[in-house]
Amino acid sequence: MPSPRTTLSRALTALATAALLVTASAGGGAAAEPTLIVFAASDLTFALKELAPAFEQARNVRVTLVFGSTGNLARQIEHGAPADVFFSADQGFLDALAAKQAILTQTRALYAQGRIVLVAAKASGPKLEELRSLLGDRVRRVAIANPAHAPYGRAAEEALRTAGLWEALRPKLVYGENIRHALQYVETGAAEAGIVALSVADVASVHVTPIDPALHAPLNQAAAVVRRSPRPELGLAFLQFVNGPAGRVVMKRYGFLLPGEL
Amino acid sequence: MTSLDLFPLWLSVRVSVAATLLTLAVGVPLAWLLARRTFTGRDVLASVVVAPLVLPPTVLGYYLLVLIGSQGPVGRLLERAGIELAFTWKAAVLAGCVGSAPLLIKAAQAGFEGVDARLEQAARTLGRSEWSVFWSITLPLAWRSLMAGGILAFCRAFGDFGITLMIAGSIPGRTQTLPLAIYDHVQANQMAEANALSLISLGAVVLVLVGLARLVRLRY
Amino acid sequence: MLAIDISKRLSDFTLEVAWQAGERVTGLFGPSGAGKTATLDCLSGLSRPDRGRIVVGDRVLFDSAAGIDLPPRHRRLGYVFQGYALFPHLTAAENIGYGLRGRPREERRRRTAEVVERLGLGGLERRRPGALSGGQRQRVALGRALAPEPALLLLDEPLSALDAPLRRALREDLSAVLREWGTAAVLVTHDFTEAYRLADRIVVYDRGRVVQAAPRTELLWQPASETVATIMGIRNVLHGTVLKASPDRIQLRWRGYTLEAVNSPTHSYLPAPDSPIAFFIRPEYVRLIRKDRGPADPVHHMNLMSGVVAGEEDFGTTWSLRFRLDAPGPPAQGDHDIEVEVPHLVYEILEIERDRHWEFSIHRGSIHVLPA
Repeated sequence: MPSPRTTLSRALTALATAALLVTASAGGGAAAEPTLIVFAASDLTFALKELAPAFEQARNVRVTLVFGSTGNLARQIEHGAPADVFFSADQGFLDALAAKQAILTQTRALYAQGRIVLVAAKASGPKLEELRSLLGDRVRRVAIANPAHAPYGRAAEEALRTAGLWEALRPKLVYGENIRHALQYVETGAAEAGIVALSVADVASVHVTPIDPALHAPLNQAAAVVRRSPRPELGLAFLQFVNGPAGRVVMKRYGFLLPGEL
Repeated sequence: MTSLDLFPLWLSVRVSVAATLLTLAVGVPLAWLLARRTFTGRDVLASVVVAPLVLPPTVLGYYLLVLIGSQGPVGRLLERAGIELAFTWKAAVLAGCVGSAPLLIKAAQAGFEGVDARLEQAARTLGRSEWSVFWSITLPLAWRSLMAGGILAFCRAFGDFGITLMIAGSIPGRTQTLPLAIYDHVQANQMAEANALSLISLGAVVLVLVGLARLVRLRY
Repeated sequence: MLAIDISKRLSDFTLEVAWQAGERVTGLFGPSGAGKTATLDCLSGLSRPDRGRIVVGDRVLFDSAAGIDLPPRHRRLGYVFQGYALFPHLTAAENIGYGLRGRPREERRRRTAEVVERLGLGGLERRRPGALSGGQRQRVALGRALAPEPALLLLDEPLSALDAPLRRALREDLSAVLREWGTAAVLVTHDFTEAYRLADRIVVYDRGRVVQAAPRTELLWQPASETVATIMGIRNVLHGTVLKASPDRIQLRWRGYTLEAVNSPTHSYLPAPDSPIAFFIRPEYVRLIRKDRGPADPVHHMNLMSGVVAGEEDFGTTWSLRFRLDAPGPPAQGDHDIEVEVPHLVYEILEIERDRHWEFSIHRGSIHVLPA
């Protein structure tokens, strides 16, 4: 049986070893090839994951994609996050960043218009035909992104208000942190229906019904190169790639309305 | 399922070990002060050290970001000194420290308070300095509580999500720790990858803790 | 050897004491909470007096006027704590050698072995305190304090945590170690027997003050005041009126009797006639007068009184009899006037169980007056 003092000295040795290992390995990990860091709203998850490899091959760079809520990403960029280019789900956040001189305004470009759709869990019955169907007894909960800060949530609220359903549906609403969360509520059956972005709605377990874009103000999504970026031309190139012929095909496939098609 | 990127695992192990060591280095002396000394502001300090438990992690992370980001007072100083902290792996370490410090400090404080002060006084009358008393009496007798606090701190640092997300970002290959990577996979609807990484997380922590227990088995 | 003169404000009174101690064992005796342990803590440097001076041998440990306050580690005092405060994670030998840090390894080993040997702890070196008996723990605690050869040993209630039989055995054990090692010591206790058995000189504490400091026999026979007598647990402390006082005798009146007492030889004391006076009579020094040897004779039987047994208690080897005097008036001590202690044998021979009325006398040397 080891005495506590031997134990103590052993533990201290272990701590010292751990400290050495950590500091020794700390320097590593820096990639040799140039890396482009893209901050993008979560609704772009699938589209950009498909586009990034093509851009990497074309320009011989690495692209690191960081997805998150537009608000969070904007706040991080404001405080010096190492993003090169920022794809916002809502141009309002770009306005705020522009006011703080955190982005290069001349690179700013509209890249898509988001669309919201009505989704219903397949497990809970047949497809819902229209927004009004949400009032039916079959639907006990309706998931949307939090309108307080999520652009798609705001659009969902607007559409419901315009359709005159907001007050009636309010008791049924549950808020997700973002559209992916809202969709997860439907996918897992926690909510029978929801209103989410078309770009993420392509999942097997839900029925999708389009919503008339006239019911809400357009979800104009813009992107810009970040002022602190050490490689602004590469960021601009990626933005233009997404907005160019190759990008447009993919974006369109994921349900975005594209600039010039409006 | 595409091939699994294990970088987040190594990053998380490294970050949480570093965070635990740093938390020990700062937290143990603080805990000792709180347990053994009376000074003005002691009660305030005692409340401040547990404050991180009260705030939601992302909110706490946001405040830290405001502090250490490129616009923040600390961030600007660091930048002038040529040190990059926000959005680097070091920020993830800081996040781990902030999240785990309350757990370690409270456990260690209870441990120190549990050591009979008369034993320390006896050691003093036997010619030992404060430093020597601490190493030969206080520390060995409070050892179990320190271990418990260290383990809690390690697990908390390993699992931190909110603070790391805010101040280190979730940049794959750089600052995306295991919990952030799992969350990303869930967000991208890649449940197989998410499940695999969750299992790996649990496995890694169990492995580290079992190894530690083997190394420092303590009885008396 | 030791001179202390300090004052320190404590939570419910002010400790204000001055006394000296010689080369042998000094007992600090008094009720719990009288400031005895606080004094030891000031001596050892664990707490700091508000003002005063502490000198051990030729070394000044504390002097508020000169701004001297040696930290505990430089005072070279061996402190044996109440409950011993042995280090639970160290072995007996490591405990004993703990204060030898800083000396060469070989010397440390040799000194530890020597102390272990002298205290009869051979074979127990590798045991932790949890695996030692009460007596062994006491010896380890003594060894730990004595190993660095302290200038003075401080013992705080060394026996208080023990039960009676063990307490008695360890008291004798402690007494032997103290005598054999010859280190000057200050011992704190609230038990007079313990103070009497272990100390040569006793300092009596009451609420932060020294009420008497005297060699142990002097204290036993001549408590300086009623307070001291009460603290010592002396029975039959009584109150009468002075009739006449001379340097060697005091005549007093109590419960209608005229009693004659020897004046205190050390603080001879001349109270004015008619002034109140406290005195005590040790219960074991009251003589019952046998009825089979003729009537009592005032010439041979000094301070003769009579009364009836109002209550009694069996203490195993002695009986305590509570007598109520035949004199009229309310009894001096509740249900009785005087307590008398007789051995069992006497109780049986005199058939006290049956015969409840007795005459008794007290030699004048056994009535001790207490200066006011």
